[in-house]
Amino acid sequence: MKISQNWLKSYVQLDVSVDELCRAVTFLGFEVEQVLRTGAPQLSNVVVGEVLTRDRHPNADKLSVCTVDIGFAGGVKTIVCGAQNYKVGDRVPVALPGAVLPGNFEIKQSKIRGQLSDGMMCSAEELGVAEESDGLLILESRPTLGTPINEVLPSGDVVLDVEITPNRPDCLCHLGLARELSAWFKKDLTYPEIRFAARGSGSGARPDLLKAVRVVADDDCPLYTATVITGVKIGPSPTWMQERLRSVGLRPINNVVDIGNYVMLEYGQPLHAFDAKKIGGAEIVVRRATDGEKIVTLDGKERILNSRMLVIADAVKPTVIAGIMGGENSGVDETTTDLVLEAAYFKRQSIRWTSRRLGLSSDSSYRYERGVDPHSLEEALSRAVDLLVEFAGGTVAGAVQKVGHDVPWQREIALSPAYVNQKLGFEIPASEMRAALDALELTVTREEQPSSDPNSIVWTVSIPSWRDDLDRPIDLVEEVLRVYGTERIPVAPVLTPGLLADDDPIVAFNRQVTDYLVGQRFNECVNYTLRSAKELQTWVSQTAAAELALANPFVDDQSHLRATLIPGLLESLKLNRSRGVPASRLFETGRVFVERNGQNYECLAVGFITTEDPDERSWQKRAPEDFYSVKRHLEILASVAGIDLSRQPISAVSETNLGWQAGQAAGAGDMQHGWMARFGLLSLAMVKALGIEGRVFAGILAILPEKLTGESGYRRFQPFSLYPAALRDLALVVDDTIPAIEVQKALAKIARAAVGKTFALEGLNVFDVYRGQGLPAGKKSLAFSLVFRSSERTLTDEEVNAAFQKIQDDLAKATPYQIRK
Amino acid sequence: MQDLLSALLSKAQQELPQLNTRPEFEAAKARYVGPNGELTALMKQMGSVPKEQRPVLGKAINEIKVQLQSLLDGSLSRIDSLELEKQLGPAIDPTLPSPDPFPGTRHPLTLVREEMCRILTRVGFTVVEGPEVETEYYCFDALNTPADHPARDAQDTFYFRDSAHFGNVLKKTAEEKYLLRTHTSSVQIRTMLSRQPPIRIVSPGRVYRRDTTDATHSANFHQLECLYVDKNVTVRDLKALLDYIFASLLGKDTKTRFRPHYFGYTEPSFEVDLSAKHLAKVNKEWIEIGGCGMVDPTVFDGVGYDSKIWSGYAFGMGLERLAMLLYGIDDIRYFYQNDLRFLRQFA
Repeated sequence: MKISQNWLKSYVQLDVSVDELCRAVTFLGFEVEQVLRTGAPQLSNVVVGEVLTRDRHPNADKLSVCTVDIGFAGGVKTIVCGAQNYKVGDRVPVALPGAVLPGNFEIKQSKIRGQLSDGMMCSAEELGVAEESDGLLILESRPTLGTPINEVLPSGDVVLDVEITPNRPDCLCHLGLARELSAWFKKDLTYPEIRFAARGSGSGARPDLLKAVRVVADDDCPLYTATVITGVKIGPSPTWMQERLRSVGLRPINNVVDIGNYVMLEYGQPLHAFDAKKIGGAEIVVRRATDGEKIVTLDGKERILNSRMLVIADAVKPTVIAGIMGGENSGVDETTTDLVLEAAYFKRQSIRWTSRRLGLSSDSSYRYERGVDPHSLEEALSRAVDLLVEFAGGTVAGAVQKVGHDVPWQREIALSPAYVNQKLGFEIPASEMRAALDALELTVTREEQPSSDPNSIVWTVSIPSWRDDLDRPIDLVEEVLRVYGTERIPVAPVLTPGLLADDDPIVAFNRQVTDYLVGQRFNECVNYTLRSAKELQTWVSQTAAAELALANPFVDDQSHLRATLIPGLLESLKLNRSRGVPASRLFETGRVFVERNGQNYECLAVGFITTEDPDERSWQKRAPEDFYSVKRHLEILASVAGIDLSRQPISAVSETNLGWQAGQAAGAGDMQHGWMARFGLLSLAMVKALGIEGRVFAGILAILPEKLTGESGYRRFQPFSLYPAALRDLALVVDDTIPAIEVQKALAKIARAAVGKTFALEGLNVFDVYRGQGLPAGKKSLAFSLVFRSSERTLTDEEVNAAFQKIQDDLAKATPYQIRK
Repeated sequence: MQDLLSALLSKAQQELPQLNTRPEFEAAKARYVGPNGELTALMKQMGSVPKEQRPVLGKAINEIKVQLQSLLDGSLSRIDSLELEKQLGPAIDPTLPSPDPFPGTRHPLTLVREEMCRILTRVGFTVVEGPEVETEYYCFDALNTPADHPARDAQDTFYFRDSAHFGNVLKKTAEEKYLLRTHTSSVQIRTMLSRQPPIRIVSPGRVYRRDTTDATHSANFHQLECLYVDKNVTVRDLKALLDYIFASLLGKDTKTRFRPHYFGYTEPSFEVDLSAKHLAKVNKEWIEIGGCGMVDPTVFDGVGYDSKIWSGYAFGMGLERLAMLLYGIDDIRYFYQNDLRFLRQFA
């Protein structure tokens, strides 16, 4: 909202600099978004002068030497001037030595190219009345010589564009802010003088103009008043009013419309003036529109209404969308002589709903939406009547017609100064507190002190009707602090009692996986959560994609929650490549949303991609990444979540869909157990379709947050043997299709049985996989290394050999595997 | 005999320094000094030598032995070094760059988040997380947001269809809608509902606004909020925390100031400005950095804390905004493009 300093000055003495004003508004809690200056600033030693002679400067082609008459007191001055747009006889502003022009430009007597100059003739820009100008400001009205320039120029004003927070609708007007500023600067607030008593009746009611007011929809319009004013003469409003309206961005229209706007900007109460002769049937009905009812609003647009919208209608047609905008058919024009002035209280919810629905808002609807004070309505109405009588020549006809009731307002808050200080954590003297409250018209009506302890003082604070936002003691703490000044909050140390709590396991998980992947030289990425439907269908089933859709996406390609992190990473890879930046190893942590049985689950996820070879060209090639590189990464990431992937069933992806390449990627876990992992080669076709060249490996782990228990406690130490190990190698020829883990498990079982309890099979791992020459087709050889050890002694060759032989015998009996000799 | 010994020695002198491999050496050693070696054979002939010659000859044999041993040692050490030499790869050019990948990097948002968490952890805060999909209760109702508040509008907040179900985000009431949280304050509610005070938490996380993406707006961005609940928490304590945070982040000469403001869940409420010498690309003295206030008693009542006993403060800020200020980044979209030339600058 724009507020004018000159306007504010009508109510409170505000002879302060712009900076002081801005600071006050800011620390009262209203953000100053813009400071605009209009008109001329106060200038001393700048007067009206007339150019008597103009001669070319002897030493400079573009300069002139002029004699300038500045009136009887000032005499004639010699002034060097560079402008070209004036002639002898023109009257212009003359800045004399001692004048300080905007921008802190001080005028002194000086020599310009050897010629003495006694001052400066000024342009509009130099005087600060225009953003830019070309040449001197020629004063066409030929004011008297020597007149101080401020008497000639439009008076200067400072206009602040201020953000009013939604809790303070009372400050959507000049009086409201003047009240705040009066408290800040500790100056009295002067209200406009009201002469018209709205409660008293005027003379000679005019039922021919307004027979009746009916409010049908009284739940949305608890109070409606209408006043008939006759004999109005439409014309321009007074210059000062026009100037004020213009300064805050309103275009003056005529005296009646301007007065309505002026009072709204003064009191915050929207008003509406009807041309009485346009009110069909001399009747005003406040009702809901019918579905499909139409009205052409003042902006020339036809609006189609519905039965939830409130209108002001006459006997035949809607004339105003209540509280929002008048219709073309009922407004005041040059021919208007009799008015009906409406001042009403509409419920904010109703106005807001209609305004949103129609996409139509106005200064009026803005105020109603935020809440106007029904108890100030009468005063605003009276003020408008006063102005109409004074500046539009009207006469009040009959009593104010009022439908609905004044809701009685009374609110008191019991406030103890000790409570204020306790909440603030520092002491404000009670007297200062009380002065602050008083200045905001939060009047302390009673003081009680039940005991001798001054901390027991309790005030009864009376809350004015326009401060509906205040209803608890804590609300008054803020009021006291605002006026006291938040800049005066004392400096203090942070006091920290220790609490027995630890970071969320989710946080610890994210930190650990990030540490690991950064250590593995991955670059962390951050991608948007919202993705396109098309992308999602590449990665999850149709049903899952549908479940992840937003009801109200903002743009089409951000319509669904992400189910995986991989596509975002591929996008980042592509972006880097398209910009000629080598990128190979990317990762992200973040939330993904996984569907299971018609339910979505929000999961933590960590995902990464790595290209087979690095993008970066290098003089020496390194080993390429492959399935097993990403498997190890995933094992480690899973271990951070407490999952031992080596103990989990892992199966190869069998069909190339949902992003992964069949036979080259694998998965483990499922949402039933609260986690799932996928890793391996990304679908070659999918990657190619994205415009990415080469093979890309990836891995992702998604886990329900509640799966992370964050178990602390310490692991028990496991003693280990200090005796030497005995090693034996064993190669088994098996069907090529059998997963290695199956063979390993069978071998481990037999080997454990074979060594029994005498010593232990400490380790068993595959060290060679072979296919080809020497083996039948469809077979492979898996070579295992077996590690035996005892915790009590050094094993002898004999006992190890015996066990090893038994293992081989048992294998031959119990499995189809052949021992490769 | 003497001649034989001399011949043996000169043969060894010739042969042993020429040996290149360990097997050759072992074979030669056996030939000279092994049980069937030549020297051994000569020593065995000692018995056939006249008694008086024996001492002289014995001495000569010992000398030969010593010399042979030293020849053998020399040969062995030569072979040792030859073997080590073989382990050496090709010569290096120390000025060539390593072909290994560049270091990994943390995203600047992670860096800023972790730095803030570290600062807050030092004064007793612990880090908590909550779901990004929320319900109206946690995101709005519990935070004292009126039913007709504009923030709840479908124009500003992403909602899910009534049919949507989130298995691990439970609704408070059956009618309420699922939405994407518009602030991390919902985590404060969840924490207060699940724990008893005193509470001192910081909740960083991703939030969503239905907004056009441009240089300063993004459909999702990140916030970080602090909540402290205890007895007798004051406005002064809140100011002390903010002073501490930004002095830790930007140096001891950093100042903060409060401007009164309005938020539904705090009373009184403030916007926080900071002023610091070290900020790049800033030509204003005061920069708005976040919002804060004393937790509104209504919020406490809603989560079942007795507002007569408990008091508290909350502070929240945008992480992108903070990162932009700290690093002098002028466009929020850089955070979501992941250009490595961007990512590598901060890690």
